[in-house]
Amino acid sequence: MMGERVGDITGLREELILKSCKLAIKAHEKFPGKLYIYEKNRGSTEAVFAFAGSWLVDHWYSRKPFGETKVDASKFPSLRSIGRDEIALVNEAFSTRFEQLLIKSTLASEVEKAVSDRKQVVFTGHSSGGPMAILAAIWFLEKYVRPNIYQMHPYSVTFGSPLVGNRIFSHALRRENWGRYFINFVMRQDIVPRIMLAPISSTEEGLKLMHDFTSPKSQSFQHVPIGNSAAASAFFLSVMRNASSVASHAACNLMGCTNLLLETVSSFIELSPYRPLGTYIFCTGNGKLVVLDNPDAVLLLLFYCLQLSPEEQNAEFLHGIFRAHLVYESELQESLNMQNVIYIENLIDIPLSSDAGTNYAAATVNSALNDLGLSMKARLCLRAAGELEKQKLENQRRIGYYDAFRNQRDANDFNANVKRLELAGIWDEIMEMIKRYELPDGFECRKEWIELGTIFGRLVEPLNIANYYGHLKNEDTGPYMVKARPKRYRYTQRWREHAAMRHIGSSSETTFWAEVEELRTKPYSEVKDKVLRLEEQTFAWIRDGILGKDVLLDESTFTKWWRALPVRHKSGSCIASYLGN
Amino acid sequence: MEAFESSEMLATFLASTPLLEESWKLCHHANTALVQNFVVNRVGEVTYVAFPAVQNIGGANSCSRDSVALGTAAEGVFTAFNRHDEGEEPVMVHAGLLQLFLALYNTQIFRDKMSELVNESKSLVFTGHSVGGAIASLSALWLLSSLPKTSISTAVFCITFGSPMLGNESLSRAILHERWGGNFYHVVGQHDIVPRLLFAPSSPFIPQLHSFYQSRHLSLTTPYHAQLAVQLSNENKTELFHTVLAGLEGNSRGVSDLERSPFWPFGSYMFCTDRGSICMDNATAIVKLLYLMLATGSPTSCIEDHLKYNEYVGRSCLQYLMRTSFTEGSSIESSYEAGIALALQSAGINSHDPVYGLAKDSLKMANQVGCRRNLNNAKLAVDLSKFTPLRAQIEWYKAFCDDSDDQMGYYDSFKRRSASKRGNKVNMNRFRLALFWDKVIEMLKTNQLPYDFHMQAKYVNGSQFYKLLVEPLEIAEYYRSGMHKKKGHYIEHGREKRFQIFDKWWKDRKVGEEENSPRSKFANLTQDSCFWGRVEEARDCIYKVASEMDMGRRLLLLEKIEMFEQYASRMIDRKEVSKDVIAKNSSYNLFVGEWRELKSHLQPWPLQFTSFQDGGNMVP
Repeated sequence: MMGERVGDITGLREELILKSCKLAIKAHEKFPGKLYIYEKNRGSTEAVFAFAGSWLVDHWYSRKPFGETKVDASKFPSLRSIGRDEIALVNEAFSTRFEQLLIKSTLASEVEKAVSDRKQVVFTGHSSGGPMAILAAIWFLEKYVRPNIYQMHPYSVTFGSPLVGNRIFSHALRRENWGRYFINFVMRQDIVPRIMLAPISSTEEGLKLMHDFTSPKSQSFQHVPIGNSAAASAFFLSVMRNASSVASHAACNLMGCTNLLLETVSSFIELSPYRPLGTYIFCTGNGKLVVLDNPDAVLLLLFYCLQLSPEEQNAEFLHGIFRAHLVYESELQESLNMQNVIYIENLIDIPLSSDAGTNYAAATVNSALNDLGLSMKARLCLRAAGELEKQKLENQRRIGYYDAFRNQRDANDFNANVKRLELAGIWDEIMEMIKRYELPDGFECRKEWIELGTIFGRLVEPLNIANYYGHLKNEDTGPYMVKARPKRYRYTQRWREHAAMRHIGSSSETTFWAEVEELRTKPYSEVKDKVLRLEEQTFAWIRDGILGKDVLLDESTFTKWWRALPVRHKSGSCIASYLGN
Repeated sequence: MEAFESSEMLATFLASTPLLEESWKLCHHANTALVQNFVVNRVGEVTYVAFPAVQNIGGANSCSRDSVALGTAAEGVFTAFNRHDEGEEPVMVHAGLLQLFLALYNTQIFRDKMSELVNESKSLVFTGHSVGGAIASLSALWLLSSLPKTSISTAVFCITFGSPMLGNESLSRAILHERWGGNFYHVVGQHDIVPRLLFAPSSPFIPQLHSFYQSRHLSLTTPYHAQLAVQLSNENKTELFHTVLAGLEGNSRGVSDLERSPFWPFGSYMFCTDRGSICMDNATAIVKLLYLMLATGSPTSCIEDHLKYNEYVGRSCLQYLMRTSFTEGSSIESSYEAGIALALQSAGINSHDPVYGLAKDSLKMANQVGCRRNLNNAKLAVDLSKFTPLRAQIEWYKAFCDDSDDQMGYYDSFKRRSASKRGNKVNMNRFRLALFWDKVIEMLKTNQLPYDFHMQAKYVNGSQFYKLLVEPLEIAEYYRSGMHKKKGHYIEHGREKRFQIFDKWWKDRKVGEEENSPRSKFANLTQDSCFWGRVEEARDCIYKVASEMDMGRRLLLLEKIEMFEQYASRMIDRKEVSKDVIAKNSSYNLFVGEWRELKSHLQPWPLQFTSFQDGGNMVP
């Protein structure tokens, strides 16, 4: 929990962190002249790309109230939940800015060069340059690391960055095991990382203020009497109020609140969708660094760290939260020298009251939490976040007895049928947990489960389909694929496709029979194209051994149906050789 | 997983949303601007409607404790509360408050404005202070029960400030059953006497209290009214305080029905104090806290707190800014205990108060009840999936019998089964499934499951499927063991209560557009689970006809058989029966044969009973 160095925890050399910080702040100052800076250095084994921030409101929000949009699935195919097939949300203004950057600048080619020189790539950004660094790192991961073109993971290091994506965004990064390559430094009292928790209507003025206050070209650089400005105060209050809504709503859910009110009220007010991602390092302001990687805990900390104590309620405080955005370089220099690092891994056991702790470890954690200004209420919330994480692991362990799944091969007699239904029950339970995000983020990427799901689907789903059409349920409810396909097959198919980096819906061999049954009920002229597609797929599946040859036996539904197709079609069919004549 | 106490966190969440602040702003305006009926204000997507605390009471007696049945006193207005189960008390509301609402409801301006708002706004918040709060609740209830459930329509929410109690426990339960519990939110000041008043037997001072508040509200509007302010003597205040405290204490302990107040809270309550606020939804715990918090107050504070919502709301809405300091000792290590201690601090109950222990107990009780309900629900889902294989075995048994060479079908194979392993197994499954469903019904009765359990599609469909599949076996077993000779026919004398409950669930479910298209094949399961019971009764009638000498009774029997025949052929025409019904050797086909035979003997009296053919609607 402590005594480690920042370099050990993050896997990134400390000089590199400092260098990134310097470059990031420099880049921000150069804007709008340059979109990013990259210092070419032949001898170095590292390539650091630093992105400029911007205070233009249009670069923060594309529309009311929060300006989020779905990520571009073609560029970021991993940014979704697999089973549910829910695409992550990203701040549209940030994402557009990044797209422009890719098109208009030489970034792509310079990165390509760095890759061919086998350099460690680092993307960095201060303020709204942070989101650019984060998106660039994901772009890199999708482009080079996932297809196994380049194995060295990139890093994204941000300083006082606003939030970029929603919870699916963060979930997807953790699932791919990429979370640790995203390192975010946040000054305890810097307001910028909290801005995205409030809607544009209440932060527009504030962004202009920030611009005047922080831009060296502005006349009022760091001299605005911001502590007494009504606009600054309104800005702070509204960010805090919205952050409070988001944090207490999250805390209620973490604490297992059962009151129906929570759900009703959530439909009346719009809460910010943005959530933190990756690893967060909070700077307490007196040289300590507190490291956390539980996204729920980080969200709660973003709010609770900024709460006031009675003695802080003055003009200096307000000035401080603006200034905090500008001191990263000096603060980091000092903190990295002191190496007073506290990595809070075990949230469940953090001390509750601010003066507790007889043993040394507890006292250290306690003093860090005190320096972050965490009340007992805040600490309780953090514990709840820890409990949820523990519960997810527990859920995973509970279903870990996959011996039960092993003997699912022969399935003919009465008892085997019972067994199969029991297994289906267990699968359904797993799917329900996945739907409610009650399993660890990485679950849908676990090889053994993808394999079990595939085997189970191939063995059992054809029987389900036969049963469905046998009882003419399609007349009651519609086609199997559209209306009745259980999650246990839909989700596992998507797992498989994601693992193999294939398109969604490209591997539906288990639903072969459903397709046959549907085509069977319709005249050939209506479904000609579909027949052709099915034949092509069938050809490939049989060739690759995915589909058993038993589908080609004389008495199979498939053969009977195919034989009844028009002669002209059959003679040109790619599977004619399989079926003979 | 360790439990957490979230009542304080929930209150923090609500106070940080604009809902609370905006509602109170409009209430305050309604109170001070001498608004006649109500005021409307739109903020972003949400429209607020506030009802003033000062109401022109006229003939309505809002001071007494009389209540009336909602279904009869306001017929056709609150459609959701019209039906009620036998043995349960009907939904009752305070007579005076209902009268006030109905007076408003019958005005053209109210009707016009409401239909305009429903069409124009996505979300509606009804709000009001004091009596205005009760009107807001009734308006929200009316709108909720009149909006169509299926279509996506306006979201309705109700926030009251210091509102008197409105209805009885049946109202509270009905609201939970409709899943509206989360739509009502009552803010109560620390010692405010008004929400507590109706727990006490009526006191001569209540009308006085009423005019006192009316004049205080009016005094806010003009200096002229301030001069006329009614005063309450200290003796009156003390008397009131003690009467209400005693009444509440009794009710919070659960006294005998005679002394019990007919009023009971519904929805959620937010208790506000100088130190914070907490929010709860367990009615028993709410009544306890109403009592325990008042016990820490005084005759003056209980009167004054009703007029202090401006301060309470203002403070709650800024609470997020400040760190919550915790002053009650520092040695707590359990998250759960710490959460409780924080909640009690926010409720203004200190560890040295005599009521501290009781308050702690009621918070814990509420937390456990909530958790257990969710836990039971989750566990039941797992249990249900474990029972699916038992059901599937019966299904396979059915398929086996229906396809077997003896052509008896499923019902008759089971009824006439000889000792076989397969038959025994199916019989065992029948028992175990019955036990499972009986357990579910028992848990529901004893309130251990979520309030809307009987509306969850999983259980409605599951129970229906169970009923269609297994009830024929129950009937077969009943006639096989000759129970009908001892107790009478199955449908009237032998049917388990659970099947009747499932009938009701199925009938009350939200029906989609499906299941109207004609079937092209016989149903998987006969859609009337009592079909075989009716077959047995009809066959019994045939036997009786032979020995019946009395012409009148004989005619009656023949009429019954005739009706059954029509019903059965209708079912078969529509393919609503499963193929076991028409199996060659099934009881139904035996009936058809016997009936044909009987009819041929009846030739001397040709078609005497054709006149009954139109009476076919007597069979369900």
